[in-house]
Amino acid sequence: MNYFPDEVIEHVFDFVTSHKDRNSISLVCKSWFKIERYSRQNVFIGNCYAINPERLLRRFPCFKSLTLKGKPHFADFNLVPHGWGGFVQPWIEALARSRVGLEELRLKRMVVTDESLELLSRSFVNFKSLVLVSCEGFSTDGLASIASNCRHLQDLDLQENEIDDHRGQWLSCFPETYTSLVTLNFACLEGETNLVALERLVARSPNLRSLKLNRAVPLDALARLMACAPQIVDLGVGSYEDEQDSESCLKLQAAIRKCTSLRSLSGFLEAAPHCLSAFHPVCHNLTSLNLSYAAEIHGSHLIKLIEHCKKLQRLWILDSIGDKGLEVVASTCKELQELRVFPTDLQGGGNTAVTEDGLVAISAGCPKLHSILYFCQQMTNAALITVAKNCPNFIRFRLCILEPHKPDHVTSQPLDEGFGAIVQACKNLKRLSVSGLLTDQVFLYIGMYATELEMLSIAFAGDTDKGMLYVLNGCKKMRKLEIRDSPFGDAALLADVNKYETMRSLWMSSCEVTLGGCKRLARKAPWLNVEIINENDNNRMEENGYEGRQKVDKLYLYRTVVGTRVDAPPFVWIH
Amino acid sequence: MENSNSYSPYSSSSVDSTKPSPSESSVNLSLSLTFPSTSSQRETSQDWPPIKPRLRDTLKSLRLRQRGYNTALFVKVYMEGVPIGRKLDLSTFSGYKSLLENLSHMFDTSVISGGTRDRKHHVLTYQDKDGDWMMVGDIPWDMFLETVRRLKITRPERC
Repeated sequence: MNYFPDEVIEHVFDFVTSHKDRNSISLVCKSWFKIERYSRQNVFIGNCYAINPERLLRRFPCFKSLTLKGKPHFADFNLVPHGWGGFVQPWIEALARSRVGLEELRLKRMVVTDESLELLSRSFVNFKSLVLVSCEGFSTDGLASIASNCRHLQDLDLQENEIDDHRGQWLSCFPETYTSLVTLNFACLEGETNLVALERLVARSPNLRSLKLNRAVPLDALARLMACAPQIVDLGVGSYEDEQDSESCLKLQAAIRKCTSLRSLSGFLEAAPHCLSAFHPVCHNLTSLNLSYAAEIHGSHLIKLIEHCKKLQRLWILDSIGDKGLEVVASTCKELQELRVFPTDLQGGGNTAVTEDGLVAISAGCPKLHSILYFCQQMTNAALITVAKNCPNFIRFRLCILEPHKPDHVTSQPLDEGFGAIVQACKNLKRLSVSGLLTDQVFLYIGMYATELEMLSIAFAGDTDKGMLYVLNGCKKMRKLEIRDSPFGDAALLADVNKYETMRSLWMSSCEVTLGGCKRLARKAPWLNVEIINENDNNRMEENGYEGRQKVDKLYLYRTVVGTRVDAPPFVWIH
Repeated sequence: MENSNSYSPYSSSSVDSTKPSPSESSVNLSLSLTFPSTSSQRETSQDWPPIKPRLRDTLKSLRLRQRGYNTALFVKVYMEGVPIGRKLDLSTFSGYKSLLENLSHMFDTSVISGGTRDRKHHVLTYQDKDGDWMMVGDIPWDMFLETVRRLKITRPERC
């Protein structure tokens, strides 16, 4: 390769797109580092506090797409207080000042303001794609800026954000001359939608492939939209009430029949039971189905729909489908790769919608299954052992037994053996969430067998520090470890400080870690930000005789090359 | 060891000077996420099982509807000058008194409704169905629940 001119090498590098691979080739030699630097198009930053915008721009002056992630994963479950951080404003300001021709921005768990969106919309002439996942802090005014100013916008994808809906006219801010829309997802908006503006926008968007509506878009509007956009591939249905108006229904059915490219269906945020049957004609082409918000639809209707979906690769559903429903899935969806079953009864006890039987049925019937998220009330070791035997190809295995510390409901034993079988059989396992009654033994198995494991979520599990140590010592590829309500303390935390440099982050909440332990860790590892989040005891977490033994509510530590962040709120102490 | 006493949302090197100085940044953001006594009315915790807020809200409404109770009524609550708001389920309160108590605790300041407007207290206002901003407390509680869309805690001088 030394004999090729740089342009040739750069051209070869164009074919290398994965971040990991590009990182690897940049380490080969100085020449490759330089070529790679200037040619990297897509930059991925998994923790926005591990680096800063200035360093980003120094290293990659020519990138077009930036992905940034802010808050830790447990923020999705209300464990990270408001105001913790993850602000995108400084990033956008820095990029705006530079000469980067930003075309795509993907943010996850970050705080975005209307000001940020306004600045973004005005600073990058070729801006094409905005994807916001689980973000907060902005309103429809910010969306109006994007609509008004981004002439070449293709994607506006808002997934599960907290958006202040001013019920304004953001949809009518797209100019009449604007016709390049490809993706529009505003399902998470709570307010009214200007249906006229929406219909006109869709009608003048011949490239529209993905449209996800919010609950304010009723049945007759949906029919008109689908009639305008029969080329649609990915549809999110908004409100879909059981309107007695048969003419609307007929119009909708006629429109749906024309959508021969439809592959993905979601939404049904407010859906009456009988509505799904209008979609039966397109089910045989569907590869992705997300019914996880369709809480009012009875299992029997879900089953009737799924019976038509023979090509399904991805299914997200509520546990109201029941074990019987999962058996139908197992016998119908032979192409299934990813399944998520969410709970409908958060109390636990009583309703046993899905059990270990459903999980076993799926594992037996779906040979291509590699990712699963399963919420259930009960589990047994025997079932997990069977699942492991049926499906050695799991990449992601997340099991959430709703009641903490719940043992095998048949033998009353811990579920160590069951999860042990999973990690032993699934040699490619990258992500694992464990639950139920678990001792240190399960972590011995994880440390021993889960060699490829990158992300592990632990809740209400383990007996002693040994459990956490098995994992830290054994899982060489661990990147993200998140632990809550488990008896791991300073000894485990401090055993191997260098381990944390190989990981993106560690989260521990309601464990046995003390303030003294955290301070010792911070002293030993200056390359880490050790953040302590204590919402209630601000005043008591001070230098006094007890501090060494005072338990830390929430600990979040991560490697960083830019030191302590300056935007932390008062309840976050960074050492 | 850094212990920052003032909260600044942006790194100091890039503060936009045209933005009004966040004097409200002295508001203590160490908000308790667990409600006081009214939380005993809540049957489930807010952080277990590990599901996202949207699904949690959907299921809660569903459960309440199935049991014949009024649907959960989540509204956004903002403290004037603080960009990041909170969300509150009004259906868990029995009336104005418990609402005000809860808000006072949540925002660590004294919040009152209408009536005597002395300079010390923050006043609670709400946006109704018509989009108008009104003083909280004038209409019966049940009527209030039907018309309220969001809440704002205003600075005392404003009203």
